[in-house]
Amino acid sequence: MCGVGGILYKKIGNQGTSSVGKDLVKMLESMTHRGQDSSGFTVVGEDIDGDLVLRIWTDDPAQAADILSMAEEALQKAGGVVRTRSAWGQFLRLTIDYEGEIPALAEAILNTPGVALHSIGETSEVIKDVGTPVAMDGIHSLSQMRGTHGIGHVRMATESRVDVNHAHPFWAYPFTDVTVVHNGQLTNYHKLKRMYEDQGHRFQTGNDSELIAVYLADKLANGDTLDSALRSSLSDLDGTFTYLVSTKDGLGYAKDQWSAKPLVTMETDDIIAIASEEIALRGVFNQEIDRVEPQNNEVMTWLL
Amino acid sequence: MVIVNAAGLTTRELNGRLKELAASGQEITVLNPHVGHNIAVGIFESCRIQITGSVGYYAASLLDGPEVAIDGNAGWALGENMMAGKITLTKDAGASVGSTMRGGELFVGGNAGARAGISMKGGTLIVGGNAGFLTGFMMQKGRIIVCGDVGEAVGDSMYEGAIYVGGEIGSLGTDAKTEEIGEDELLDILATLESHGIKQRYTFTKVVSAKKLYHFDSLERLEKTVI
Repeated sequence: MCGVGGILYKKIGNQGTSSVGKDLVKMLESMTHRGQDSSGFTVVGEDIDGDLVLRIWTDDPAQAADILSMAEEALQKAGGVVRTRSAWGQFLRLTIDYEGEIPALAEAILNTPGVALHSIGETSEVIKDVGTPVAMDGIHSLSQMRGTHGIGHVRMATESRVDVNHAHPFWAYPFTDVTVVHNGQLTNYHKLKRMYEDQGHRFQTGNDSELIAVYLADKLANGDTLDSALRSSLSDLDGTFTYLVSTKDGLGYAKDQWSAKPLVTMETDDIIAIASEEIALRGVFNQEIDRVEPQNNEVMTWLL
Repeated sequence: MVIVNAAGLTTRELNGRLKELAASGQEITVLNPHVGHNIAVGIFESCRIQITGSVGYYAASLLDGPEVAIDGNAGWALGENMMAGKITLTKDAGASVGSTMRGGELFVGGNAGARAGISMKGGTLIVGGNAGFLTGFMMQKGRIIVCGDVGEAVGDSMYEGAIYVGGEIGSLGTDAKTEEIGEDELLDILATLESHGIKQRYTFTKVVSAKKLYHFDSLERLEKTVI
């Protein structure tokens, strides 16, 4: 199974940011019956103290502090200037000033053994962990995170291992701010992954959903709009999928040709909320709602 | 009338309570369903259940007898495998509404998702609005009446039964065809719709199996040995 959810607050005047972290925790917690292996969130749109915000993780709990410091040093050598730093357990969040190319920065960090990069964004950050959303909130203070939009996921693993790295969302290395959550299985994953690796793209996990993020980011980098990138994915990706994508200024979904995986959407003058199940939408809208259930081969995008 | 407040009850507690009350023949109102899954499942008594609010997946499934009225939306597989009884839903149903139903009547006031009436084996499924992709997929018996439009591949691989569409057809599914509606069956459809307060006279297109892929007259080798 798996559950996906997303929310976008339309900017009305200078409304600024909203309680995106809190909303997403509520939405995804109500779908833990769809998966409890891991949870994850992307929150987008908060002002960052610096050019970029990075989320780094190490798989080695015993030497976490040392390994994360090494990754930070590598980043500094590559030209990054750390503005703010917070570290807890195996997790490190940095905001930095950086004027170079993103691939060089990402490569420098990932060359530190035992390190994974969960995201690099101008305003997007990925927070993912094993366990349920509310449990995660206690560790990662998700409810405090504000933004304009975001996506979230609860996972019931089918095709790849259960650990923090294989939790969704997947960030598209090495492009900023493109992240994806996915419910389904891709059947042409290995073929496409080899193709992208031949073109120089790097994958951090064996999870098929990571491919969608790389696919979309590659399309966007080559001039596609978010909408056209999602539309071409309908024929380029095989298998079953309902996935959500968030970018620096947008949110979207795509549903496969079989309409195999659920999704409902709800839009008001202020908010767009999308989720696998209506019960998740009710985490944002307390009253009975009118919702729409998208069909086969459907794509929708919203831009701020 | 007895009121059951679903808030704070587990699904098992709620359904246990509904079964007890159904056996005692009382009219039941369920409050605060909060889009929960598996509400009012497996009830075999003739009784009336009113659910105030939206329900999740498999609501009122495995029914044999009750009349269930839901004021709200429903998730996937509302009324799955209903044997007899009546379900009415005021708003939208998710995918697979009325899947494998064998009897009774299921009315959706709003739109239905993909695969409405998949593998139906009897009864009547009525959709007041539009129905989605693969409506009546592998249908084996019964009637589906859709007042609005249907999506792509309507009646795909259906064996028997009929799908009546009041609006546009996205496309016909594999081995589905349209045919003329008889006057008696049209009157019957209009009467059925009128019983749900729909008075508009739709021009229905009837979709049935073309039976080019239909080979039930030639039994499998093992089946022949059984006969």
